[in-house]
Amino acid sequence: MTGSMNIMAAAIAILGVMPSALGEGLVCAHVVDGMSRNPEMYGKLRTTMILACALVETTAIYSLLISILILFVIGK
Amino acid sequence: MFDHFFDLDIPGEVYSSLIVVLIIVVLSIIVAIKARFHNPLKKPKGLLLIAEIGVKYFDNFARDLTGGAMPEFGGFIMGVAVYLFLAFIFGLTGLPSPVTYMAVPLSLGLTTFLLIHLVSAKYTKWAYFKRYIDPLPVFLPINLLSMWAPLLSLTLRLFGNGIAGWALLTIVEVSLRDLSAAIFSFMPTDALGNNWNEIFLAPIPMAVLHAYFDLFSGLIQTVVFISLTAIFIGQEIPEEVVVNNYQERRKSL
Repeated sequence: MTGSMNIMAAAIAILGVMPSALGEGLVCAHVVDGMSRNPEMYGKLRTTMILACALVETTAIYSLLISILILFVIGK
Repeated sequence: MFDHFFDLDIPGEVYSSLIVVLIIVVLSIIVAIKARFHNPLKKPKGLLLIAEIGVKYFDNFARDLTGGAMPEFGGFIMGVAVYLFLAFIFGLTGLPSPVTYMAVPLSLGLTTFLLIHLVSAKYTKWAYFKRYIDPLPVFLPINLLSMWAPLLSLTLRLFGNGIAGWALLTIVEVSLRDLSAAIFSFMPTDALGNNWNEIFLAPIPMAVLHAYFDLFSGLIQTVVFISLTAIFIGQEIPEEVVVNNYQERRKSL
């Protein structure tokens, strides 16, 4: 019983990646907008986009961390 | 003498961290000796050239983000960046990466956290304690809670990236090994009784995944960590100092 509850808890915890994915999509969409407006900024915008994506990813990584902890550390 | 030395149950990541530090120390000594005996009128080559480019890049980086108020700050940033990047790509050797052990990101986060508060105390003197009752004294408990946010976010970002990459790589590796053993189960065992049917599928996908999760992700997280450190510390430097510094630099040019 505890094992299945742990798996359910991990599945609920991983739902937190959804808004983060939406945020990353927004970042990429706006960067593509900016690139199409002035293509000479391509290099700078790409670097900033990768940085911003890594920042937005953080919340998703918190969720992943919590679900990994539930599965492999608390569940034992 | 060393009979009970390994009974301490020190986790492997600590040894990895020590190896990384050792590599950096040896590299630094080599670069220092090369720089000492190098003719400054000639062009630098090889390792010295890379070191000079790195020092210049990180000095400029620190100067841009802290407004030139702390010229020695570039050294700290460069040390953290080199250690962090080597720690991330240390997983490529097959030994455990130091970032997957909570104490290592926590130490790095604590260093930044202490620097934030020390720099703030240095520039604002006794008015430093004003930050805890910022708009109104009623906000004291909220400020006492929110002061830990940078520490928590820096630590968990590094640790989460390290442990997520490690967990994904381990899951993929184990499943590919089992799949390979199932597909090539017709292979006979060799003279020593070993069965070599587990090794066929994993190498190429694992190489790609290692390149992404160790090299690319490590580089990005290093850049994010040093940018956040510099931004957090740059926030604490008052604008007068930054403006004065710019004017002095413009005069000297």
